[in-house]
Amino acid sequence: MNDNSLFQIYFDCGLDTKEQMYAFLSEAGCSNGTSRQKTDITRQLFEREQAGIPLIAEHVLLPHVESEHVEESRIVFLRPAKPVLWGETSEDIRLIIAILLRKNEEEAVKQKIARFTRSLADHTFVEELVTTANEADFHQKIRTFQEES
Amino acid sequence: MKIVGVAACTVGIAHTYIAQEKLESAAKKAGHEISMETQGTIGTENELTAEQIEEADIVILATDVKLNNRERFDGKRMIEVATDVAVKSPNKLVKKAEEVLAQKQ
Repeated sequence: MNDNSLFQIYFDCGLDTKEQMYAFLSEAGCSNGTSRQKTDITRQLFEREQAGIPLIAEHVLLPHVESEHVEESRIVFLRPAKPVLWGETSEDIRLIIAILLRKNEEEAVKQKIARFTRSLADHTFVEELVTTANEADFHQKIRTFQEES
Repeated sequence: MKIVGVAACTVGIAHTYIAQEKLESAAKKAGHEISMETQGTIGTENELTAEQIEEADIVILATDVKLNNRERFDGKRMIEVATDVAVKSPNKLVKKAEEVLAQKQ
């Protein structure tokens, strides 16, 4: 699922801080870009947070950017090995679902992303993504979503 | 109660659609009719008709950006919040709409 798929899953990843998470996401979105382009994506992620921490459920963040530096639009799941304390919020973050949207992305891809985003309104689905202990099960949940949508 | 509303966030790909879904679900659970328009990166979806707006008892605007055609709602009872309020506390927002309506009747 992590090759050409819209969905990228990094389970039990060893990222401990917000800065590491955002740097990782910039790399995921712009692996062939210059360090300046990657920094620009990171800056956008931080800027989005100034408008409010993108917490969508207990322990779950949904950072998102639209950028001309994003090479391919992605929905990136980061399940840190240990919960991450996220700046001003006292909540420990256990799941980051990042949307990296390429500027001027085609309509069909935007529709797919929007369909997935809508699914995040389902508390049970989000709770399952947070609590699933097994990587294969996590992949299966995303695969099931893809098949049903 | 008949509710109409609009959800629109900055990038228009994330909170817009979660806010829409959560508000629709919370309103229906509370026994209300609701129609939510989204103004996102895809454009406007489920665009509210003049008739829907006319018949609505209250308007909920869950937005982080300037809305298109906001003047459609002039003269209507209205609640305005950021999208994350609709995402985090949709039931409270519907309750607030009920209270606003009760106060003004």
